[in-house]
Amino acid sequence: MARKDLLDIASLHREEIEFLLDQSTSFKKLFTRSVKKIPALEGKSVLMLFYEASTRTHSSFEVAAKRLSAEVTNFNVDHSSITKGESVRETIETLQAMRTDYIVVRHGHSGLPGMIARQTTASVINAGDGAHEHPTQALLDAFTIQEKFPDPRGKKVLIIGDILHSRVARSTSTLLQKLGVEVAYLGPGSLVPKYVPESIRRFTDYEAAMAWAPDVVYLLRVQMERQDVQFFPSLREYHRVYGITNDRLAEIRQRGLYIMHPGPVNRGVELCDAVMDYERSLITNQVENGISVRMAVLDWLTPGGEFPRQEAYAAPQRASSPVTMP
Amino acid sequence: MLLLQNARIASENSPVLVEGDVLIVEGKIQHIGSNLAIPEGARVIDARGRVLMPAMFDAHVHFRAPGFENKETITTGSEAAINGGVTGVVMMPNTRPALDSATAIATVLENAKHRSRIPVYTSGCVTKNREGKELAEIEGMRELGVKMLTDDGDTTHDPAVLLRAMQYATEFGMFFASHCEVPELAGPRALNEGVMSYRLGIKGSPACAEEIIIDRDIRLARAAGAHIHIQHVSSKLGMETIRWWKSRGDVKVTAEVAPHHLLFTDEHIGDYDTNYKMNPPLRTQADCDALLEGLIEGVFDLIATDHAPHTPYEKAQDFISAPNGITGLDTALVSLYHHFVRPGKFGWDLVVKRYSAEPRRLMGLPVPTIEVGQEANCVLFDTEAETTFTREFMKSKSQNTPFIDQTLKGRVDMVILGTEVLLER
Ligand SMILES: [Zn+2]
Repeated sequence: MARKDLLDIASLHREEIEFLLDQSTSFKKLFTRSVKKIPALEGKSVLMLFYEASTRTHSSFEVAAKRLSAEVTNFNVDHSSITKGESVRETIETLQAMRTDYIVVRHGHSGLPGMIARQTTASVINAGDGAHEHPTQALLDAFTIQEKFPDPRGKKVLIIGDILHSRVARSTSTLLQKLGVEVAYLGPGSLVPKYVPESIRRFTDYEAAMAWAPDVVYLLRVQMERQDVQFFPSLREYHRVYGITNDRLAEIRQRGLYIMHPGPVNRGVELCDAVMDYERSLITNQVENGISVRMAVLDWLTPGGEFPRQEAYAAPQRASSPVTMP
Repeated sequence: MLLLQNARIASENSPVLVEGDVLIVEGKIQHIGSNLAIPEGARVIDARGRVLMPAMFDAHVHFRAPGFENKETITTGSEAAINGGVTGVVMMPNTRPALDSATAIATVLENAKHRSRIPVYTSGCVTKNREGKELAEIEGMRELGVKMLTDDGDTTHDPAVLLRAMQYATEFGMFFASHCEVPELAGPRALNEGVMSYRLGIKGSPACAEEIIIDRDIRLARAAGAHIHIQHVSSKLGMETIRWWKSRGDVKVTAEVAPHHLLFTDEHIGDYDTNYKMNPPLRTQADCDALLEGLIEGVFDLIATDHAPHTPYEKAQDFISAPNGITGLDTALVSLYHHFVRPGKFGWDLVVKRYSAEPRRLMGLPVPTIEVGQEANCVLFDTEAETTFTREFMKSKSQNTPFIDQTLKGRVDMVILGTEVLLER
């Protein structure tokens, strides 16, 4: 049943998801022991390939790998240079020569981890690719929700924010739906694509979304780096229309709703400061659960497995300067 | 001397194939009839069951020379054309340097003369270096026979620049071809905005990015009294826009459609298959259906492939990094036959009209027919044989095509141009 790679949630079967969530529970129990390390991946090497900076996901994977006794190496990626697919190809050849067992990769281009997976024997874990998928985030979100709702079927999760650029929204909504959770989106019209799947409810108004009676309100991070293109007039306006303001928090508290956020939080934008102390905020639980979920994933994958569709790619041929043209 | 016996002869004017023997002498069709006597020294070919038709002409190809000979050269490009039953092409000017001056055009045409077994024509840029700012050296290019002006690959961004170019060049009998795209709307990557762009997590390009310029450029042409040719239309509303303008009859508009836009949708991209990455992007089944309707109806005057080779190395990157474009010359005729003619969606007459006659008319060239007195410029096509598009089969230097390793019904058996048999399988 194990796979070589974890690239997305879309292709995971329900049994695989349940297995991973079960395993995460077992790994989480380890944390209470004084010796947190187990020798499951002793002698295995995990390579961290992060083309986008991310302290949170990066360290979570690193801790997870080390607790399984794997050896962790960071592949130096120059964040200042534009790392296009062409240079990634060079890197892949190097990585394959290194015979690393796992590659944890994050890249701004959707689909890039899949490309690496097809060209290496290593188990590739997608740690976020463009606006495509972030499967371990989805698993830790589901795990966190399941801790509160052991049978999450029929529960409702409202995802608020920038859906257009969010891999978290895509992966988490897909996974939650596979578990029988109802999902709705709310966000600025400029940041919610017209073509979201029909199975996802779409709200344009906060009050209407609340009237739907969600159990969990999942806030997405406003990606400040995208503010060169104006998707909404101002952060203040965003907070007022789509954020959890003090008034809205009072209502949420009264209704006993849970709040989630993939982090890092922009205080005063997605949520007001007081949310951080709200007893039903699951934001720190998400961080903590990230480690056990990632341990479960690393433990589950089997490096060196079959190469799916490897033959679809021709052997690399050296070419001169690349130019994009029609 | 060549005698083709019992061929089924196609023409643009009749949906019915006429069976007959065709005698070619010194590159000209000398006799057509049944049971023609075999002249002494004639080579006899049993063409029974096979279709004989005028050879194709592709008015939109990228041969990448000068500047990108690692992708394609005039030699490999024209061999790919012959391989697909095409005996004439119009190159696009987005080379390096761009074909924006008499000097650049002269070099290409001179090269083509020595490096190609078929006539190669070229378009010229509207603006210098395709930058959309200053007019290219239009008159100098015209003197060398350039008829089509285009900044293909990019829309001439400033409508005032394009309008001026139209006002100027129409005087010289030249026409304009438009790649239609508002770059600010289209986003960075060639993917239709739709269900697939959401799923793949790549910002999609809405069809309106294309439709706006289709409409804009036709309006500009109307204002200037110019002839506008709309390239590779991909959307339903784009087709309908052209249809509406044509029905008004007060502006000269022609348009082309590419086989891939008739055949594939964004769903084919699947797991980021870059062989389906092209610009304009593949859209939806409803768009494909509308394009087919437009082709049958004549909204599209011609079929052109937008043959756009890229090296395997470039295309084997991730979807976002990979360049746009697919090759088309090796595969167009067979795929049109397999997917449309064979299932009865349209006849051979449409193929001949839209892929042989009309593109030549667009370019002001003589139109070959299978008639006595005509120069032999024809293709013999086996409708029962199959073609497998292996890497070895393709003559293009690049093999970035969704048809790679597919087997389709139909095979180009012979390509004859004047006294030369350019291809024989
Ligand atoms: Zn083109």
